[in-house]
Amino acid sequence: MNRNLSQLTVETIDDVVQQVLVRGAARVDLRDVRQIDPYALLLLTLLVLEAQERGIASRFDWPQSPDVRAWMRAMGFFRQIGASIASPSAGRSDALQPVAEIDDEASLGRVVDGFHDRLAERYPLTEASRRTLTAILIELFQNIPHHSNATGEVADPHGLAAMQDDDEAITVAIADKGIGLRGSLGLRPGYEEVSDAGALDAILRDGISRFADAGRGGELQRIVGVVRSWDGSFALRSGSALLYFNEQGGDIVDAPPFPGVQLAIRIPLRCFDATSVDP
Amino acid sequence: MHVEEFRIAQFGARLGTRLEGEHARAQLESLIASLPEEGQVRLYLDGLEVLSTSFADELVGKAYQRVVDGGFGDRTMVLDTPALELADGIDVKLAQRKLAMLCRHDGRWRLIGFHTPALAETLELILEKKQTTARELADELGLQMSACVNRVARLADLRLVRRRKIGMKGPQDIYELHSILEG
Repeated sequence: MNRNLSQLTVETIDDVVQQVLVRGAARVDLRDVRQIDPYALLLLTLLVLEAQERGIASRFDWPQSPDVRAWMRAMGFFRQIGASIASPSAGRSDALQPVAEIDDEASLGRVVDGFHDRLAERYPLTEASRRTLTAILIELFQNIPHHSNATGEVADPHGLAAMQDDDEAITVAIADKGIGLRGSLGLRPGYEEVSDAGALDAILRDGISRFADAGRGGELQRIVGVVRSWDGSFALRSGSALLYFNEQGGDIVDAPPFPGVQLAIRIPLRCFDATSVDP
Repeated sequence: MHVEEFRIAQFGARLGTRLEGEHARAQLESLIASLPEEGQVRLYLDGLEVLSTSFADELVGKAYQRVVDGGFGDRTMVLDTPALELADGIDVKLAQRKLAMLCRHDGRWRLIGFHTPALAETLELILEKKQTTARELADELGLQMSACVNRVARLADLRLVRRRKIGMKGPQDIYELHSILEG
């Protein structure tokens, strides 16, 4: 499946994961990539780091498009993977929110404020949109310190978040390479043997959390409800399972195994239009 | 009745994480504990832009759980919000914990959290009368006495009304019911 890729998105990035981690490809050809979404960018970042840690010597041929390279640089991709790549001066970038690191709960407020302010600079958010989106970001971001290394077995879960707009929507992506949903939920009695797909299902359908406290859990379930009500799309990948839905429907599908949790929400731009109906 | 105000916006306009909620809860619980018996904390949401469900649960859900479980004696807690959407996170988390709280918005008190129309109807009548008995309520609501007693017991368990025993009729205790709202 060493096909030439023109877009790196939720639908295609797992081809790259497959090439590197499953096939151990010596060379990964991304030269023809002309578009990358934030979800794919974060997963690609973590993939490069994971390959380095595993000693997989894949060589990546980065996109040749000046604009794509300029965007990747502006988003902080090359800095994150510790590479220094020349980007042609002709390249243009409209990066909205570069990759931010999510290390601990205490610094989350600053990261959320940064996302909020960058979004508010570009879009006239309605009060309800601002409130809902900020609350969603807080809930999603804090999952990293709460869950990504709940067992303490990961040296660094590399929590990352980024955001980008296009002509139709805004995409927010959050990713880590920690213990994953199965690893976190597996800490709860009764869920020790849960599968990746089973953990996804329990968390999203039943609102289960690794904590037995009645007040915990249900946040991702509610976020899915909000995204659906906005006619947006949602991707949640953990281990070897990927849930993806858009306004046409969706399902849980198999994915090449990868540590941690990677998530994206894509919200139509009309939700940020002050003249539209508040979400 | 002694009522103390607790303004959540003192911790920031956009809240927040469980960690932030945990810090705020220490102050809230200290305030509740400092009140005289039957004292009340009124939580205010004015000045807030965002109140996440996690913060709401860590601050309000957990503290209120202790109130309802009797951890603070007969002290009570109610909510006051300038916008119902701001209380969404609290509503969701109280419901998840199977708790209900009185919330004032636009000068009107309503129940948020886990409740039924029957419970809300009974509570509304008690708030209106300020002081009553299960017999009076049963008559006015057109209920069987046993059904009314069950509703009142549930409201008392949720710390939404105060029940004072005033006597016995046969094997049954007779209670006087009091609104937890002052004035």
